[in-house]
Amino acid sequence: MTTQGTSHIKAKTLAAALGAVAAASLAAPAMAQDVLKIGAPLALTGGLADEGHKQELVWKMWSDKVNAAGGIDVGGTKMLVEIVEYDYQTDGKRAGQLAEKLINDDEVNVLMAPFGSGHTKIVAAVAERYQIPLVACVSSSTEVFNQGFKYLFGTLAPNSGMTEAMVAEFKETMPELGTIAVYGRDDVFPKSMATAISAAASGAGIEVVYEELYPVGAIDHSAALSTIKSMSPDWVYMTGYTQDLILGRKQMEDLGIEAPIITMVTGPAYKEFTEGLGELANGVSSSTWWHHATGYTDVSGAWDSTDAFYQAFLEASGGEDPDYVHGSCAAALDVVADAVTRAGSVEPTAVRDALAATDLETFYGPIKFGENGMNEGREMPIIQVQSGEIKILYPESIADAEMMVIE
Amino acid sequence: MGFAQILANGVVLGTLYACIAIGFSLVWGVLNVINMLHGSFIVLGGYLTYFAWASTGISPVIILPVVAVALFVLGYALQYLFINKVVTAPVLTTLTLTFGLDMILYNLMTVFFTATPRRVSLDYGRIDALGVSMPVDRLIGMGLALVLTGLLFLVLKTSRIGRAIVAVRMDREAAALMGIRVNHIYATTFAIAALMAGAAGAVFAMVFPVTTNLSGVFLGKAFVICVIGGLGGVSGALVGGLALGIIESFAGVIVGPQNAITIGFLIMLFLLIVRPTGLVGVKGYE
Repeated sequence: MTTQGTSHIKAKTLAAALGAVAAASLAAPAMAQDVLKIGAPLALTGGLADEGHKQELVWKMWSDKVNAAGGIDVGGTKMLVEIVEYDYQTDGKRAGQLAEKLINDDEVNVLMAPFGSGHTKIVAAVAERYQIPLVACVSSSTEVFNQGFKYLFGTLAPNSGMTEAMVAEFKETMPELGTIAVYGRDDVFPKSMATAISAAASGAGIEVVYEELYPVGAIDHSAALSTIKSMSPDWVYMTGYTQDLILGRKQMEDLGIEAPIITMVTGPAYKEFTEGLGELANGVSSSTWWHHATGYTDVSGAWDSTDAFYQAFLEASGGEDPDYVHGSCAAALDVVADAVTRAGSVEPTAVRDALAATDLETFYGPIKFGENGMNEGREMPIIQVQSGEIKILYPESIADAEMMVIE
Repeated sequence: MGFAQILANGVVLGTLYACIAIGFSLVWGVLNVINMLHGSFIVLGGYLTYFAWASTGISPVIILPVVAVALFVLGYALQYLFINKVVTAPVLTTLTLTFGLDMILYNLMTVFFTATPRRVSLDYGRIDALGVSMPVDRLIGMGLALVLTGLLFLVLKTSRIGRAIVAVRMDREAAALMGIRVNHIYATTFAIAALMAGAAGAVFAMVFPVTTNLSGVFLGKAFVICVIGGLGGVSGALVGGLALGIIESFAGVIVGPQNAITIGFLIMLFLLIVRPTGLVGVKGYE
């Protein structure tokens, strides 16, 4: 009896267990279909931690807002969005490994690229291998996009667009502009900007009197800036990251460099730059991909205007201003949602094709991908710090100030 | 650009470099420990100075000693609690331990301070003389770096603790037999090195923006300076620092800033081959 009873219980337990497994295996695909999984390797620690946290913040804002509204429409079904993120510790190799993990273990439908052209390049190779769509929101170097990849799309526009418009704009304001000194960080994005501005300036008849790169990890610029001073250029154009640019601007002042135009890419686009420099930031110009002063209205996506995004951001960040990283990365998810909705499926190839056909107006501006996957749908603003505020000099449609020459 | 300007840039940078390297050299020379924490100590000193200055408005010159003492206490505790346990182990063990501790400190700083560059604004203008333009804050930084280096030199030469450190460096066993508390001396040496790193960070924050990712850069510089100048004394760090500052300044103008750091490394490699003790190092500490 006892034995029989035990075996009866065992059989019942087994049946129940099998039933549960069967139910789970049936439920699993159903669950997976109800959630759009977006994978994101992020630099949450290490040198790019500030930038990684910016991406994380707006993606959370975006997914909270979209999920609160019931999710996104995919082939008639409302799908919630889940962002699966891992910290790659600002280590490019690790970013690549985590992208593989996101694709294989977490089975994400779409990947978001990490910060910067260098790390995007690594993750793009992984995404291409597995044929998973990858949307990059903070990579602008054409060399990343000109590798023939079919699954890579970027919401920033090509660097060359930022330099040619700037040369034309400055030349128009200051026709006597004759010489430029170019000093850039030897890193994927700053280097490509330095090269692009030299070409654009030469093309417009401006003589490039100094053109040098400084290594990543340089902590002093006095040698280069002393040389630049001795050449008295009309325009000093420096590229790098915030720390380099704060020091560079201060050292220009210390050494008595008196150029009427000082451009620091992309210094003024970041609040840390204007905060770190105070009055010294005045007059510094830059080109940027987006600024919250650009007033796009009646647009698609999670926010229907630039101001709506700005207000939501102020609340989420406790009063901080967003910069182009926030803008571009939030809009990149609008692009993903739009593509999935148009594809009516989360199947990677369908999403990829829908991404390629994107033609979207967002709070960040128009987004339309060119042949190589870069956003070619927009003119990028030229900005300048004037009395501590960011003013837009170009394009004319959204400009709110005239260019100021540094005295 | 004039020779005087390039030289002046190099000398000012060199004294700051000496200040960065001196604690690292002391720990390496005395404890035979390659302290991977050194760069983060400097960054910590810089951040503490910045936040103290930003929240109170007190001059960073006054904040500097407080920060230095705080780093002294932290350094003593770390050496006494952790590094002393493995100080006689092969160099790879201490290297791994300090590397691990550095990762913790580095990431804690990133979490609490964020990686945003912070700068103490001391805009005192500049002095133009003899064809040289020099910002006053750099001159203050140079002066402080020289005072700190001189003080350490005096402590090691004349004080009781300084003589005990030298004795332990010469012969650990004999020093112990003479009644010197070796573990205490080790911890004190490490603490003095941390104090110097903290002070160097404070000086640095007065001249350059500080971010957490500078810790690796500082560590690399300290390494190169110790090899160029040599271990075993304050003079090695001073000579090595000045040499590197001047080399980088001239190389930056002659072969371009992109190659200046490479030139510094090439000279380091050359010295390693032809003069492993460094320019003024004591034989036996290479």
